[in-house]
Amino acid sequence: MSTLYLRDRWFEDLPVGEFHVFGSHTFSELEIVEFAEAFDPRPQSTDPVQARCNHRQGLVASPWLITATWMRKMVDYMEVYAQGVNDGRRNGAGVAIHDLQWLEPVRPGHTVTYTYEIIAKPDRVIREKWGLIRSRNEAFNQYSNKVMQFEIDILAERRPDSSHDV
Amino acid sequence: MATPSSPGAHLSSDTIALDKSAIVAFASRFDPQPYHLDAEAAEQSIFGGLCASGWHIAALATRLVSETLLQNGHPFVEMISVSQLNWSRPTFVNEQISVRIALDASLSESPIPGTRAQSLQVEVCNGDGAVVAKMSATAAISAESALEAQP
Repeated sequence: MSTLYLRDRWFEDLPVGEFHVFGSHTFSELEIVEFAEAFDPRPQSTDPVQARCNHRQGLVASPWLITATWMRKMVDYMEVYAQGVNDGRRNGAGVAIHDLQWLEPVRPGHTVTYTYEIIAKPDRVIREKWGLIRSRNEAFNQYSNKVMQFEIDILAERRPDSSHDV
Repeated sequence: MATPSSPGAHLSSDTIALDKSAIVAFASRFDPQPYHLDAEAAEQSIFGGLCASGWHIAALATRLVSETLLQNGHPFVEMISVSQLNWSRPTFVNEQISVRIALDASLSESPIPGTRAQSLQVEVCNGDGAVVAKMSATAAISAESALEAQP
């Protein structure tokens, strides 16, 4: 069986329907507070005591911490499959996201599992070189409840001499 | 509390400067890709230079949105959703970002207790005024204060 080099693949090699589970992350109270203090200083995410009395009835992660952690899980996952690929990478940079929703709060001790599925390859050529890969990304907590979802368009390099169909 | 600005108003934020250490610190933790970590590798990349993670920009934009809404009498509680976010250009080392916010006129139902949903159009600009990202978002605004704000 040949090794998957996810990041080394051309646009033409990335199939709609490809599905990955990037893995799980358990959020600590400390990282929730530290992220919020730096990037999203709302009391429901910075102050465990005050948060008990607010609309969330306890400390919750900043929505962007849940999303930024998706990015980290994706990079870690892709690198596992792309060892040795560095500047040779042919896909990765994101250009747009759609329909990002945070559906349930994530609290200290919650474990969130991130999934990724390629759902479309919009028929566009960007700067004569890149195609777009659209994926649906979902995150589930330890009760199997969905806590976040979004779609993202990522650039993938088209095979230089490809004249054949996608 | 300040009197809420009228619906349809445009609000402008303060600026945040992004130095190399801030860009690398965020990227090391959340987006460890060469063009966000290493100046030499970044020069060879699609972006052509060391630049901030798009998620770093999104988080800082949300911070600027929340601070600006609070300063203008809109009691921001938290972000509910982002229907569209486009990153149109990189933010390089030592650039500044700020946001311009357009508020939709009406508030709607919010999934978060005690709040109403406010639609926002957000432009994230660099120090030259060029748009680096655009975001259509919905924020939860405290319902109590939203009611008080009605004539």
